[in-house]
Amino acid sequence: MFCSEKKSLEVERIVKANDREYNEKFQYADNRIHTSKYSILTFLPINLFEQFQKVANAYFLFLLLLQLIPEISSLTWFTTIVPLVLVITMTAVKDATDDYFRHKSDNQVNNRLSEVLLDSKLQNEKWMNVKVGDIIKLENNQFVAADLLLLSSSEPHGLCYIETAELDGETNLKVRHALSVTSELGADFSRLAKFDGIVVCEAPNNKLDKFTGVLSWKDSKHSLNNENIILRGCILRNTSWCFGMVIFAGPDTKLMQNSGKTKFKRTSIDRLMNTLVLWIFGFLVCLGIILAIGNSIWENQVGDQFRTFLFWNEGKKNSLFSGFLTFWSYIIILNTVVPISLYVSMEVIRLGHSYFINWDRKMYYSGKSTPAEARTTTLNEELGQIEYVFSDKTGTLTQNIMTFKKCSINGKIYGEVRDDMGQKTDITKKNEPVDFSVNPQADRTFQFFDHRLMESVKLGDSKVYEFLRLLALCHTVMSEENSAGQLIYQVQSPDEGALVTAARNFGFIFKSRTPETITVEELGTLVTYQLLAFLDFNNIRKRMSVIVRNPEGQIKLYSKGADTILFEKLHPSNEDLLTLTTDHLSEFAGEGLRTLAIAYRDLDDKYFKEWHQMLEDANALMDERDERIAGLYEEIERDLMLLGATAVEDKLQEGVIETITSLSLANIKIWVLTGDKQETAINIGYACNMLTDDMNDVFIIAGNTAVEVREELRKAKENLFGQNRSSSNGHVVFEKQQLELDSVVEETITGDYALVINGHSLAHALESDVKNDLLELACMCKTVVCCRVTPLQKAQVVELVKNCRNAVTLAIGDGANDVSMIKSAHIGVGISGQEGLQAVLASDYSFAQFRYLQRLLLVHGRWSYFRMCKFLCYFFYKNFAFTLVHFWFGFFCGFSAQTVYDQWFITLFNIVYTSLPVLAMGIFDQPLTGRGSTSNISQWDFLKRICQCSSWDPIQQVQGHPTSRKGNLVCPLSSCLCCFFFGCFCSTPGPPVSSVDVSDQSSMDYPQLYEPGQLNLLFNKRKFFICMAHGIYTSLALFFIPYGAFHNVAGEDGQHIADYQSFAVTMATSLVIVVSVQIALDTSYWTVINHVFIWGSVATYFSILFTMHSNGIFGMFPNQFPFVGNARHSLTQKCIWLVILLTTVASVVPVVVLRFLKMDLCPTLSDRIRQRQKAQKKARPLRSRRPQTRRSSSRRSGYAFAHQEGYGELITSGKNMRAKNPPLTSGLEKTLYNSTSWIENFCKKTTDTVSSFSQDKTVKL
Amino acid sequence: MPQKYISVTRRTKMKRTSEDGQSKLPDNTALKQQQLPAYRLQLSATGVLSCFFATGVFCLGMGIILILSAKSIKEIEVLLSLLTFREFTKAFLFTVSSCIQDVGNCAPFSKSHDGTPIAPCGAIANSIFNDTIILSYKLNSSIPIKVPMLRSGITWWTDKYVKFQNPSSINLSSAFAGTTKPPCWAKPVYELDGEDPGNNGFLNDDFIVWMRTAAFPTFKKLYRRLNRIQYFIEGLPAGNYSFNITYNFPVTRFKGEKSVVLSTLTWSGGSSLFLGLVYTVTGAVTWLASFSMMAVHLTLKDRKVSNAEIPESLPFLTFHL
Repeated sequence: MFCSEKKSLEVERIVKANDREYNEKFQYADNRIHTSKYSILTFLPINLFEQFQKVANAYFLFLLLLQLIPEISSLTWFTTIVPLVLVITMTAVKDATDDYFRHKSDNQVNNRLSEVLLDSKLQNEKWMNVKVGDIIKLENNQFVAADLLLLSSSEPHGLCYIETAELDGETNLKVRHALSVTSELGADFSRLAKFDGIVVCEAPNNKLDKFTGVLSWKDSKHSLNNENIILRGCILRNTSWCFGMVIFAGPDTKLMQNSGKTKFKRTSIDRLMNTLVLWIFGFLVCLGIILAIGNSIWENQVGDQFRTFLFWNEGKKNSLFSGFLTFWSYIIILNTVVPISLYVSMEVIRLGHSYFINWDRKMYYSGKSTPAEARTTTLNEELGQIEYVFSDKTGTLTQNIMTFKKCSINGKIYGEVRDDMGQKTDITKKNEPVDFSVNPQADRTFQFFDHRLMESVKLGDSKVYEFLRLLALCHTVMSEENSAGQLIYQVQSPDEGALVTAARNFGFIFKSRTPETITVEELGTLVTYQLLAFLDFNNIRKRMSVIVRNPEGQIKLYSKGADTILFEKLHPSNEDLLTLTTDHLSEFAGEGLRTLAIAYRDLDDKYFKEWHQMLEDANALMDERDERIAGLYEEIERDLMLLGATAVEDKLQEGVIETITSLSLANIKIWVLTGDKQETAINIGYACNMLTDDMNDVFIIAGNTAVEVREELRKAKENLFGQNRSSSNGHVVFEKQQLELDSVVEETITGDYALVINGHSLAHALESDVKNDLLELACMCKTVVCCRVTPLQKAQVVELVKNCRNAVTLAIGDGANDVSMIKSAHIGVGISGQEGLQAVLASDYSFAQFRYLQRLLLVHGRWSYFRMCKFLCYFFYKNFAFTLVHFWFGFFCGFSAQTVYDQWFITLFNIVYTSLPVLAMGIFDQPLTGRGSTSNISQWDFLKRICQCSSWDPIQQVQGHPTSRKGNLVCPLSSCLCCFFFGCFCSTPGPPVSSVDVSDQSSMDYPQLYEPGQLNLLFNKRKFFICMAHGIYTSLALFFIPYGAFHNVAGEDGQHIADYQSFAVTMATSLVIVVSVQIALDTSYWTVINHVFIWGSVATYFSILFTMHSNGIFGMFPNQFPFVGNARHSLTQKCIWLVILLTTVASVVPVVVLRFLKMDLCPTLSDRIRQRQKAQKKARPLRSRRPQTRRSSSRRSGYAFAHQEGYGELITSGKNMRAKNPPLTSGLEKTLYNSTSWIENFCKKTTDTVSSFSQDKTVKL
Repeated sequence: MPQKYISVTRRTKMKRTSEDGQSKLPDNTALKQQQLPAYRLQLSATGVLSCFFATGVFCLGMGIILILSAKSIKEIEVLLSLLTFREFTKAFLFTVSSCIQDVGNCAPFSKSHDGTPIAPCGAIANSIFNDTIILSYKLNSSIPIKVPMLRSGITWWTDKYVKFQNPSSINLSSAFAGTTKPPCWAKPVYELDGEDPGNNGFLNDDFIVWMRTAAFPTFKKLYRRLNRIQYFIEGLPAGNYSFNITYNFPVTRFKGEKSVVLSTLTWSGGSSLFLGLVYTVTGAVTWLASFSMMAVHLTLKDRKVSNAEIPESLPFLTFHL
């Protein structure tokens, strides 16, 4: 708060270099960051204040205060304060631990060291001690400590490279450069220490891509922009050192300004609970009013007589006032309808579920030794209700590893593994990879299984040589030697890296480059090619070429690019090869590989010189320059000779296809939101079977203006509805059924559709009027792929679905660019084990592999939801049964707010007597999802045991298989009932359930089981009313059966049994037994813990009862325990036990009957939907639905997927070459480009994506 | 020395990292992997139905037994006058627990007008039932024989020997010195029973019985037990009896009603018909439910057999209320 006040005052920032005194007067924040909330002193007041802001806590505090008023106090203070203190303490401890870890991580960051130039010397300073205006030195691969103005660097022209993954998720390097005046300072400490420039710039803000300021130094002013600034959170790359001056520090840095507060997420059950609690409170007030009116009437009519009876001569009491007091008294008494222990129990259950996620070995990734982690403990049941999954691509679906898989050279395919019969087989561990050990420079990680290629190389196949030479020459890779003398490639796009590495391993090793030359070690001999021209990649050309002169003096053009483009440029003589290669390409594409076509052209000297002259002329032109150059490129890239094609695998993470298939079966829609190009995105879509050639249509929205986008959307929709109408006519049989179900399930579209939309169109489509069209279309498509989207757009898409569809969303990603979507989705999942931690830190759950999502949702999510719903149903039931007895009693005690039970019983009922069984159910229960025969087998033993007590034949049941299915559905209930009456008392436990019938496996095998969660079937308002009715019924039975039985009776020995205390004990005992039987019926998965807790709770009740009614404790605290001797007297009476038994039977039997009939008469909606699905899809278990590995595929080719335009320019200009590689003597290229303009060109191109991001942002702001 | 130090730290560090590497893999325990051996109790409809039939049989049987035994109780009720005890309210109950030990909660009957504490204090004590009832048997039409009654054994053992205690003193009157009797009492607490000195003070049986507050406005309390001696070894012989009642406890003022009941007891206590009736009804209803459930189940079962479209291995959905 303090800071923000100060900040609001800051209009512009003035910083003087190397002058701490001068800067101090502005009181800029230093570089220390605080993400922690409390300190030791402020913890208690702030935390308590926060906690009592929660409605529930405030409500209980209010009750506590009410109880302190003697006139209306109907319960003793400890009934509320004990649970309240417990809750507050638990939460406080949790908050404190969280904050402790924040302190720890803050400290860790604050104590990082950086080199600061102080007193003309470099000194190590902790980050937190770095001040605005300081000059600090950064070294390669270091994190930037604060927002810096770049002064000088090791690279020429004051360039430095940074990786901004932490900020925007982009992994490619970005270039920043120092002002030329400051870059001259170099690493000269004395000059740097004397640097006294004053920067006047904007105030701290969160715009990552904008900076405006002016540097005044030596009487001249230099304007500063974003290109001169390195932001905190970036990592310095490929730059051995640089110096920077701190402009913004600590909380003022753009990184910190961007780390908005994490939104507090709540589950839909939480929100439902809030509504329900309000309703209950309303109900409570109603009851209170009824009782208060009753009290007024009673006071008015009978009160007098009563006082007469008491010889209480105090005159008439005001009946209205008495009613008013009674109202509050009853509010206190009846408050247990929403007991505080409900909230505690929910937290405990969620915590338990979170631990199960953390402990799950099946979600542990041994590759990076990363277990899954539930970072939030409050959202678990929401995992069982997910309808939409938004997934990032790179690093989430894919490993972001490109591997050279196959190639086709001169019509011959390499990379396939064939068995002895000559049939293609899958690569298994048996296959031996090609041995590259002869080649000392080979990359050890590269594996290739087809030995024929190596043989061809050894045989000296010239086409193969040319192919590999091309791969080694035509790229934008930079080479570097590390300290061990190993060759390291700096790649802009991993595709290229894969190709160059492949060439390297097969003996064509790209060694180094200068602006004018490329040196390649060809099978052991160094060959230096002269680089004559570099025809750079761009989105339209979809290809890149180099023109080189080999040592023999031949000029060659090497080109690689998208097959569709390149094949048009081939020389007619290539026709035969073209057909062959096209077949190969289709095959590659069918396997989901990323393909490139490879071609070359021999040029003669004269032609090239003419062409080059024209290029130079074109470059000199002021207008139409780009068009002219493009034309010239077209001109020379023709009559190409096809060499072949490459196939690179963008390695999907393991199990992605299965996971996606399974989640789709669970009716979860998966949208891919990626920053990648359309081609890449579509390619991956095909690779993960999200897009298939069987699809009816794939709509691609790629309009550039709002009108275009709208038109495209409209067309797509028309197309979709049109097709659907015609196709659905054929399904007359299902029509009626469909009509019925469609009111609930919205997807009326038969056939699969997919939507691909790019970021540019998305920006228009997200505008308010088109938004609904987009959403409608997208939701009817099976697959949605959004490409080229900015982080902000990712979040917008998530928000759109979240708000307009009211659906539960999950976002999964690995990079910093996914943070916004992770934060805005209901559930955010981070892929951990990667370098950047940003996504994980912002996420609610994290694990190392995308495939674990299946288990997280289908097993943990489904179970959590199931358990939580069961828990809530039971809890509401229990408390209604417990509390409403007071309402009925009110009519028999003059509405005097007398409690039915002992005060101790009221205190302990929810927290001791009944808490553990329901907790055990909430934590350990597992839905019964047996798989046909296996589950029946598990019933056998039990059935047999039951048969010893009753007399029917279980064999009949099991054998009559499909018919007995319904019977099985009734199982949990019936079984428990039987168990209660027969099994548990008269038989010994049988062998445990066979390991085949594991519930989690069936959850995975039948993803359809996930559906009840999405449809919100297990706990909703209707369910709540059912529970409430159940509770009310039980309370009636609990009260009126003992009432009738106690009316005018005497005990066995003629003594009292109808006294208040005996009545209280009878009711309490009945209640405990009834709710225990009920939990026994509800528990479907009886572990040892359930047994211990359920039997233990009943035992605890009796032992506490007898203890509290014992002579000893009465002797010690006669006032607190007035029920002395009661348990002993009451519970030895047969009559009382008969009452208890009758109450139990009367409470339980109708419930069982209703459930039985319900299952027989009206199976749930999810049953029906499932049946329809089954009937339509003839669903088989997932295992038999393995995705096909081969498809008859339309050919797809995309070039240089992660490639960026502009690197060609950078390479030929030589600006990014190290000083130690001095440019060779002048070549043709020197004059190719105007050297001053390249930086601007480059920056313009690299910031393309960023600027579109900023536009969105400003529009939004 | 420094070298040694370094080597030590290095070793511990290595150890820790190796431990870290292992500890990240969650333990393979049944609890943590959610594979605790458990009974998935799944039973068929037949199970439920047979349980229901059994329950029904039990309830019906129990109901009939209870009704029969309740019928066997012979009760003679003598109406005295109207009594609707609105005994039971909060204010009233509060005073029960504290009537002996603590005068703090006895309002408005904790202190008399002049400020002396009342013993026993509180509203219940004040409203004690103090009629005396003497039952006489006219053996021959002329000589009434006083039916011998036991006053002992009418209280709970714990009430008499644990809960209620007289102040320790040589004689009771001195123990209660400085207190006054409740306003409605005729005698002070230490003179309640003139015949039996041990039956005075808080340990008076009638007082203890009265102090065990009833649960409902209409209630029965045990007054005396028949002492089975002389003529009465076999119980009360047939004949003429007369009650001699000292009317101390006025009920007309609050439109109350009181009666004297002579009753026998059975194994289930002096119960009313209610319990037996409810048992019978419950049993009957359970049977009815079982039959209808069976009918529904059988009809639907047939329907399902004909519905061949449903694949066999349909996963079972658990259900829940």
